[in-house]
Amino acid sequence: MADRNDAHSHDAQRKSPSASRRNFLQALAGAGAAISFSSRIANAQQGEIGYWAKDLSDAQLTNMFSTILKIRWYERTLVDKMLTDSNYRGYNHFYVGQEAVATGVCAALKNTGGVMEADLIYSTHRPSGHAIAKGTDIKKMAAEYDFRATGLNKGYAGEMHISDKSIGFMGADGMIGPGPVIATGSAFAIRARGSKQVVVNFGGDGTYATPHFHSAMNNAALLKLPFIYVIENNLYHQYAHYSWSCPMKDIAEAAGTYGVPGVVVDGQDVMQVYNAAKTAVERARAGQGPTLIEAKTYRYYNHWGAPGAKPGELGAFGYDPLAISSFRPEREVREWMTRDPVDICRNTLIGWKVIDATKATAMEAAIKQEVLDAVAWADKQPFCKPEDGLKNVFVEGSVAARQFG
Amino acid sequence: MARKSFMYSVLEAVQYEMRQDKNMIWIFELTPPVASNPGRPVINLETEFGRLRVANTGIDENWMAGCVLGAGLAGSKALTYIPYQGACMPFQMIQNHAGKLRSMTGGDAAMPVVFIMEMTGQTAGFAGQHSDYEIDTYYAHIPGVKTVIPSTPADAKGMMASAIRDPDPVVFLYAAGLRELVEEVPDEQYLTPLNKAVVRTTGSDLTIVSSGAGMPDVLDATEKLQKAGMKVEAIDLRCLKPMDTETLVKSVQKTKRLLTFDQSYYTLCPGAEVIARVAENVDGAKYKRIAFPDAPPPAAPEMFNWMRPNADHIIAAAKRLVS
Ligand SMILES: Cc1ncc(C[n+]2csc(CCOP(=O)(O)OP(=O)(O)O)c2C)c(N)n1
Repeated sequence: MADRNDAHSHDAQRKSPSASRRNFLQALAGAGAAISFSSRIANAQQGEIGYWAKDLSDAQLTNMFSTILKIRWYERTLVDKMLTDSNYRGYNHFYVGQEAVATGVCAALKNTGGVMEADLIYSTHRPSGHAIAKGTDIKKMAAEYDFRATGLNKGYAGEMHISDKSIGFMGADGMIGPGPVIATGSAFAIRARGSKQVVVNFGGDGTYATPHFHSAMNNAALLKLPFIYVIENNLYHQYAHYSWSCPMKDIAEAAGTYGVPGVVVDGQDVMQVYNAAKTAVERARAGQGPTLIEAKTYRYYNHWGAPGAKPGELGAFGYDPLAISSFRPEREVREWMTRDPVDICRNTLIGWKVIDATKATAMEAAIKQEVLDAVAWADKQPFCKPEDGLKNVFVEGSVAARQFG
Repeated sequence: MARKSFMYSVLEAVQYEMRQDKNMIWIFELTPPVASNPGRPVINLETEFGRLRVANTGIDENWMAGCVLGAGLAGSKALTYIPYQGACMPFQMIQNHAGKLRSMTGGDAAMPVVFIMEMTGQTAGFAGQHSDYEIDTYYAHIPGVKTVIPSTPADAKGMMASAIRDPDPVVFLYAAGLRELVEEVPDEQYLTPLNKAVVRTTGSDLTIVSSGAGMPDVLDATEKLQKAGMKVEAIDLRCLKPMDTETLVKSVQKTKRLLTFDQSYYTLCPGAEVIARVAENVDGAKYKRIAFPDAPPPAAPEMFNWMRPNADHIIAAAKRLVS
């Protein structure tokens, strides 16, 4: 953080907002490269992807911060709920720590207009960040997480299967693998009908090992599909380090195999993510085919639920579910938390004079309240009717109850 | 003899065989082969046999199934543990390769391999992709693979030992809902046949047939029905393929009433096969089957728990059949 503060306090940067932003970004890009990555891919791309965010309007930038905060507080509220409210039935694969990835990517997309117009995103078993960044209704989403009849998917989905077609959020997927293949199918349809939409697939580092990863990349490259694969490399697939399933340091290297650009970005920095996404989106819209983006990031909670977490505190510590795995040294969690996506975004916007500290704090308070209200609304929603379980198997009618003999 | 959990019993059988056979291997992706039991040593195949023989891989169930198949063809016994989320990913590998290679090679190919398939379906709220039911039927339909589904820790140990020693591929369906079951299980290695059902209670009024995760409800209902004076013969299939037709037919010849119960989708559930086999051999019997509706499991517990067949459903159906 010290580097960044030094960078934006420099006199020259105070002269005009855009000059200030550019210099700041240069400093940031350099710092990012030095801190985290030294790979061929990252170095090759650094200059190219560094300069989109500065063109965004203040409103757009503020919106990004707002999205990051929404994801953060939605999740923190649910962590606390899981830990303290025994009536709460939802379970969660928390996204906290990775907010900048969903936010930066979705900021480069068109998020209105349904499947025929919006850009489409395919999510994972860890969907809340993607859904919020795409613009889903937090109230309805919270209700779905607790299986309420008025939830986003009427209580049929639960966390791992939420979807919201109206904004191009094609859905969470409880499976590791098939999602990206299906996403390329959407991209194929889009290209065939001559639409300018693009399709983004979010996948964890764990997806690298699946045959589906390779199938999606290969076919997207062969057919030059408007497809972007965003790997959120949070270092672990479930309880195993990604190096147990990927022999390379950077998963983005795989892109070379398919003749596709591979980009490594600092997933903690929303501007870096946005820049990479924007470049990929432009490419896809121009008919130049797919991109593989690997965002280096980290989740502050465990794979599933909130073991090791304490109410009101950020992150989970000291929990080794299997006592035999190499899962997450506590020091590693703390180290990543010093490069927090909320702080990085906040400091960038303050550094760019888009907002000041007072405004940032006020935004945080307002969003906290918005989320609390949404979860309180969800809490009051009706439960599902048991017999409705027989509905929605097909578009019409319901299937027979067979449990009574 | 000691009280042991389901997975402890399974791993005890595997550990014994791996100690005897230095070539035997185990592949897993996220469920390490570890089990503990109060007062006994922890079984950890990964630390005991090392990473050359017990490998933790990336998320690719298709590869895992293919890997053990290839190992088997190359002359090594091999097992893989497929978690419930991936239980259908290797379907093609098992259906078109494991199931056909012996036949296609004129009897030459030997595949001493075991595919342990974790099955869920027990947990409300997991929803759609995470609480599937029907994989017992899918795998039981494949010629050339034996498909077994033990419902007790003692059977699980004996059937695992038999599965490993069997020169043919075995799909070992592990109903995750039985994870917490504990019972007396012998310490020594023993073999339980892979083609025999077991009669859990004898009776002359009604035959109830189930398997795997359905058995606890059947035993619960049977106890209540027996107390109410109904003489129930409860049969645990244990093996879906080959299916022990003889035990089923013998029972229904006596009771003339057959109720099947499955934690599986109604259409083509194991009970459908049971009824068909009995109907071919017994005249004048009455039949009823209980199963999960032909619907993906919805997330909300209200819907899911209402749809999931339970002991009360068995009791009500049994009374209707016998009255
Ligand atoms: C086909 C399949 N196999 C196994 C699982 C179980 N599973 C759920 S999440 C997960 C790890 C995913 O890791 P990654 O893609 O890196 O995402 P992360 O959880 O780290 O965000 C696994 C193996 C699954 N959901 N689907």
